[in-house]
Amino acid sequence: MADFDLALLTTGPYHAQLVAGFWLSLRLAAGTLVLALPLALVVAVLRMMPSRLLAGLGFGFVEAIRNVPLLAHILFWYFGAPELLPEGLKQWLYRGNIEVAAAVIALTLYTAAYMSEDIRSGVRSVPREQLEAARALGFGFFTSMRLVVLPQALRITVPPLISQTLSLWKNTSMAMVVGVGELLYQAQQVESATFRSFESFAFATASYLGVSLLITGLAVAYEHRVQGARRH
Amino acid sequence: MNNRIRLLAATVAAAVLPLAAQADQVADVKAKGELVCGVLGTDDPFSFVDPKSREIVGYEVDLCNAIAKKLGVKPSLKQLAVAARVPELQQGRVDILAASLTHNKEREALIDFSLSTFVTGQKVMTKKSSGIAQPSQLAGQKVLTVKGSTMEQNIKKVVPAAEIVSFDNSPQAFLALQQGKGVAYVNDETSLIDDFSKLGAAQKDYVILPASISTEHLALGLKKGETGMKTLVDGVLRDLEKSGEADKLFAKWFGPDTKMKFPSRPFKYETDKID
Repeated sequence: MADFDLALLTTGPYHAQLVAGFWLSLRLAAGTLVLALPLALVVAVLRMMPSRLLAGLGFGFVEAIRNVPLLAHILFWYFGAPELLPEGLKQWLYRGNIEVAAAVIALTLYTAAYMSEDIRSGVRSVPREQLEAARALGFGFFTSMRLVVLPQALRITVPPLISQTLSLWKNTSMAMVVGVGELLYQAQQVESATFRSFESFAFATASYLGVSLLITGLAVAYEHRVQGARRH
Repeated sequence: MNNRIRLLAATVAAAVLPLAAQADQVADVKAKGELVCGVLGTDDPFSFVDPKSREIVGYEVDLCNAIAKKLGVKPSLKQLAVAARVPELQQGRVDILAASLTHNKEREALIDFSLSTFVTGQKVMTKKSSGIAQPSQLAGQKVLTVKGSTMEQNIKKVVPAAEIVSFDNSPQAFLALQQGKGVAYVNDETSLIDDFSKLGAAQKDYVILPASISTEHLALGLKKGETGMKTLVDGVLRDLEKSGEADKLFAKWFGPDTKMKFPSRPFKYETDKID
């Protein structure tokens, strides 16, 4: 690539545009992660509740969300769901940043559904007898979960959760369909303004790859620490 | 350079140049007995293949026919690829271009243009309730359009302070306008008119602002420096305008009874200047 215009990426308005996109992508991922983790935990616990109704509710949530493409989720939360709100609330929402809000809601639900499954399999890997023993000692369901099962389960769940975070980071690019100015959106904008496809997508690729590798590195480091701890 | 060769070159140039300057395309075309118009044949309704007759028809074909009639020769169409239009004209393989050709400054260096034969623009659609009458009022407002389009670039130029939200396609941007997710929707005029017609009973709540955020002039392409031909072609267009034939042509290809559904003709054959 003799005419790779590096200056386009390091200075000037297009640089600013791409960097703004990169930060928005990071904020989308971080915001979603903060919201999705607790939701995932709630859903996972719900699915293991003794009550059939509550467990069914958790099951319904996971299946309804996992079996619909993320793109459809985002379009639904942008074009569909807000239309059901009362007029006044709707207008207030639309004056604000409805694009980002819809994307975060869709990403949160989508990510939480997957994460809850990871948490649940982590919980199931803790022998059932532990919960039974805790209950026999007089702890309630929630206290047994909180004090006995979840601390063990969550440790096992960390690697798959990091892997879900990796998916989440890449999934933020889907927000561009509703006009959210994230990284890939800005890369496309720069491309159509400058016809510099190679440069703009090189920036996007490097950014996605860089953050993804960082997340992967985190998973590897965690594995080392846990395995190291086990050896002692 | 060798002196003798230089002399030879000068002689050849002296012999050839006046010839080229004297040759008049109008006389050539009359002698040939046919006017070759370069058309696209793929751009409905400018020039396209009529599925019934299998012949190339269209607005620009009618213009070509009118010019051939004036010259007293038979028209002949040559289908061209978009990128081949200007070179084919420069090399004399077609006499004029009637090929959805945009008149722009860059091309003025290469060829001449007739009076503008079609003027289209990118415009703004908004809800009447927004109270917006001028594109400049869109500063600080959400404006909806299509990703990667020239609309996106042009609205940024006209209203730098507008907050632009772009979608993958125009139906999505139009839906977002209907839902109130932005105050305005920018697209080219033909698409806006098409979208507007789909609104049905809700049309009364919407308005397409008369001001264009950009204008695009289509014109017939003429060989550079052929003033005789340019005078003749412009004369034909002015005659069409005067006789009312131009309005009829417009109505035939773009009018309310066509799928283009232009309510009225937004331009006249009057200028070969672009801004």
